[in-house]
Amino acid sequence: MKVSLNWLKWYVDLPESPQEIADSLTLLGFEVDDIETTGVPPLEHVIVGEVLEREQHPNADRLGVCRVALGDSVGEKSIVCGASNYKVGDRVPVALPGATLPGGFTIKRSKLRGVESDGMMCSGKEIGASEDAAGLLILSGKPELGTPINDVLTANDTVFNLEVTPNRPDCLSHIGIARELAAWYRRNLAIPEAKTYASIGGKAPVDDRFTSLEVECPEDCPLYLATVVKGLKIGPSPVWMQDLLQSVGLRPINNVVDVTNFVLHECGNPMHAFDARDIAEGRIIVRNAKDGENITTLDGEERSLSDRMTVIADPEGALAVAGVMGGQNSEVKEDTTDLVLEVACFNPRTIRWVSKTMGLSSDSSYRFERGIDIHSLEYARDRAIQLILETAGGELCEPSYSAGIAVPSDRIITISTDWVRTRSGFEISDAEIEESLQALGLNIAGRSGETWEVNIPSLRGDLERPIDLLEEILRIYGTHRIPAASVVATATTDTDHPITEFIRRSTSFMVGQDFCEAVNYTLRSNEDQSDWFADIQGSGLALKNPISEDQAELRFSLLEGLMDTARLNQSRNTGATRFFETGRVFRELGGKIVELISVAFVECGVNAYRSWTEPLRDDFYKAKNRVSGIAGFSGFDVSRFRVGAISDGDSVWQDGHAAAILEGKAGFFATMGMLNLKRTRDKDIDGILVAGEFCVLPDRLKAPKRPRFEAFSLFPPSTKDLSVLADQAEQSGSICSAISKFAFKSTKGAFDVERVEVFDVYEGEGIPDGKKSVAVSITFRSKDRTLKDKEVNAAFDAIQTMVREKTAYDIRD
Amino acid sequence: MEKELDEIVAYTGQQADGVTTRAQLESLKAEVSGPNGRLTGVMQGMKDVPKEDRPAFGKRINEVKQAVQAIFDGILETVEASEIAAELGPAVDPSLSSADFGPGSLHPLTQIREEICRIFKQIGFTVAEGTEVETEYYCFDALNTPDNHPARDLQDTFYLQDDIAFGNVSKKTDERYLLRTHTSSVQIRTMLETEPPVRIISPGRCFRRDTVDATHSANFHQVEGLYVDKHVTVRDLKATLDYFFEQLLGKGTTTRFRPHFFPYTEPSFEVDFSSSHLAKLGSDWVEIAGCGMVEPEVFAAVDYDPELYSGFAFGMGIERIAMIVYGIDDIRYFYQNDHRFLKQFV
Repeated sequence: MKVSLNWLKWYVDLPESPQEIADSLTLLGFEVDDIETTGVPPLEHVIVGEVLEREQHPNADRLGVCRVALGDSVGEKSIVCGASNYKVGDRVPVALPGATLPGGFTIKRSKLRGVESDGMMCSGKEIGASEDAAGLLILSGKPELGTPINDVLTANDTVFNLEVTPNRPDCLSHIGIARELAAWYRRNLAIPEAKTYASIGGKAPVDDRFTSLEVECPEDCPLYLATVVKGLKIGPSPVWMQDLLQSVGLRPINNVVDVTNFVLHECGNPMHAFDARDIAEGRIIVRNAKDGENITTLDGEERSLSDRMTVIADPEGALAVAGVMGGQNSEVKEDTTDLVLEVACFNPRTIRWVSKTMGLSSDSSYRFERGIDIHSLEYARDRAIQLILETAGGELCEPSYSAGIAVPSDRIITISTDWVRTRSGFEISDAEIEESLQALGLNIAGRSGETWEVNIPSLRGDLERPIDLLEEILRIYGTHRIPAASVVATATTDTDHPITEFIRRSTSFMVGQDFCEAVNYTLRSNEDQSDWFADIQGSGLALKNPISEDQAELRFSLLEGLMDTARLNQSRNTGATRFFETGRVFRELGGKIVELISVAFVECGVNAYRSWTEPLRDDFYKAKNRVSGIAGFSGFDVSRFRVGAISDGDSVWQDGHAAAILEGKAGFFATMGMLNLKRTRDKDIDGILVAGEFCVLPDRLKAPKRPRFEAFSLFPPSTKDLSVLADQAEQSGSICSAISKFAFKSTKGAFDVERVEVFDVYEGEGIPDGKKSVAVSITFRSKDRTLKDKEVNAAFDAIQTMVREKTAYDIRD
Repeated sequence: MEKELDEIVAYTGQQADGVTTRAQLESLKAEVSGPNGRLTGVMQGMKDVPKEDRPAFGKRINEVKQAVQAIFDGILETVEASEIAAELGPAVDPSLSSADFGPGSLHPLTQIREEICRIFKQIGFTVAEGTEVETEYYCFDALNTPDNHPARDLQDTFYLQDDIAFGNVSKKTDERYLLRTHTSSVQIRTMLETEPPVRIISPGRCFRRDTVDATHSANFHQVEGLYVDKHVTVRDLKATLDYFFEQLLGKGTTTRFRPHFFPYTEPSFEVDFSSSHLAKLGSDWVEIAGCGMVEPEVFAAVDYDPELYSGFAFGMGIERIAMIVYGIDDIRYFYQNDHRFLKQFV
């Protein structure tokens, strides 16, 4: 909201500099976005002159020598001028010798190329009236010769652009802001007296043209005042009013419209003037609009109405959209002589809905949406009528129409000053509390000890509870006076959330393996997402109201973003090849969408730079290792779950080079391996990408437990190797785990099986077609002795027997 | 015999030069001192030496044995040295670098988040987490946001499809699912689960329906804090934030509270800081956070007694802090992941 300093000074004494006032407003809770200076600063010896005659300068083609009339007291002067936009008879600002212009330039009598010049004719820029430096400022309206230029041009003003928070509709006006400043500086607030209706209306003629006011929808319009003024004359409003309106960005229109705008910005009450001739049958009806009804508003737009909207109508149709904008059919015109002035209060919810639905926000709707104090209407009406009568003449008619009532407001908040101090946490005396409250017009109606009853004026609808008063007390006391203190904190016994810990551990794990952390958007395009993940089409990841197509869906996986990252770094030749990300992803599980915690990484084989030696590259097995590491931080031991090779031919993963552990029941998904080479190429990413991702349901994360030490053997191990022939299709891992099971049985608990690992996989020459050889090494160890060959051999024999009896594997010798 | 002994030593010495492997050494040893070696042969001749000469002869043999052994030891040393040299390969060129990519890096948003968590941990705040998908109740209603508040508009907040079934985000009744606009929803869910005292911070990703530009992003990160206990005061709030910003931005950082309005706090303040450390910003006040005392209506929503407990809450943008701390002028850098950006914050 724009607030003029000159205007504020009508109501409160403000000798401070604009910056000081801006600082005070800021501390009062009105953030000042900017401070503008408008209009012409006070100038001495700059007056209105008229060009009587122009002659060519004898020594310079571009210069003219003018005879200028400057009124009786100054007379005529000869002035050299370089401009060319003027003609004889034009009136222009003239700076006389001795004048100091805004740039600090002082005018002296001087010779220009040999010709005497006794002053300077000025451009708009030279006197600070505008940015126009191209030619002289030609003054319109033939102002009197010799008039000081400040009397002719808009006065200098400072305009604050303020933010008024939605809880303070009472501050959406100059008086509202002045009230706050008066409280801040503990000064008087001078609200202009408006003659009461009764005092003016007593002598006025009875109106015969306007006959009735009916409000059919009191919920939408709790109070409506209509007043008739007859015999006025439309014309320009006074210069002071135009100046003030212009300073807050309003265009002066005519005396009546300007008064309504002026009072709106003075008191915060929107009002509207109808040409009385345009009100059919002289009847105003405030009613809900009819579906399909139309109105052309003052901005020239034809708008269709619906029954949730309120209109001001006559028996023939709508005249205005209530609280938002008037209609063209009844606006005040040059020949208007009689008008009906509306000052009303409308339901904020209705106005907000109408304004939003129509896409039309006006100074009126802005204020009605936030709420108008119903008790403020009469003053605003009286003030407007007084100004209309003063500026447009005319006579106020009887009777004054009113529909609805303003229920008297007599709110009291009971507050304890001790409680104020307890909640504040510092000493603030009763006297200071009282001073703060009274500065805001919150008077203490009664007190018993530290318990006070505080009267709340109707305009402060935001004050309902003691806590609301605490805010007011602190605001006026000054938040900058809250004393510093040291933090007193008891030690915490709580721990950070398991998600936080999981992400931290995974992050340092990945950074420790030379991966760079990336952060990508959660929202992805449907096209991209279904290109990568064919199986998610049609799922519920799409937003209801996306802002753009490329941010339309929740991400299914972190890999999409990481591929973007890989591509960007490749195309920009940054040389980086390893990225990871942590974050939330969204998938379907058991028919519902779930939010999962995910960690994913990608390594691209192609580096922007050549190197003197080959770098180490990731492969499937490395990726599997990393995924196992990440899963471990979540409390899952992935070696206990089946890893399924990916071979569906239609995924982001490369057939035959990737695998997944899909354990929806356990609450996690883990996938690792090479990304689909054709697809990554199609997406302009060079080389092989090896990636991995781990996703887990947040509630399945296990907080890391403190480990317990387990004693280990100090005796040497004993190792046996077993080589078997198996079907080529069988996973080596399942062969190994079968043998492992036998190994554990074979020792009958007499000693431990420490490790069973595949150490060789071979197919080809010497191995029958469709078969492969898998060699497994089995390590035994005892906690309390060195194992004897005899017992190890016995165990190994037992394993071989079990393999022969219980599996289809052939033991190779 | 004397001569033979001299020759053995001389011969062994001559052969030593040609021995470069352990196998050659072993065969030389066999040739000289093995069961059929020359020295062994001479020693076997001992029995033919007259008894009185034997001590001298024995002494002589021992000398020769030692001489030969010294030669063998010398050879072994050389052989070992050459074995090690072979295993080591050529010397490194210390001026060359590894071809492997590295080092890895922590994203600046993570670094700032962790720094914030660390500072608050020192004064007893622990990290709470929630989901990014939330419901209208936990994001707005429980936080005293009027049902016609513009933040709820389809213009400002992302909603999920009306008919969506969501598995792990609970609803209060049948309100809509949305993407959380702040992490205050974590505060509500935490208060619903626990009794005071509550001292948490909740960092996390939030969403607003903003068009991306230099200072806006449809998703961004926030940290919010909440402290509820008996006798929590406005002054405690100021002290906490003063402490935090001085820790984060350096000694001499000061903060200013400006009265403001938020539906979920009363009184509410915006927080400006001023720090001489951040040269570019000079001594001007820079807006950095919002805060206030927890609104009694919020306590009502989580069934805390507002007479018994009071509390404060605050929130700030992680991107904004990172931009100020590191001097980054465009929020989009955080989401592009250009390595030339990322590696600056290692």
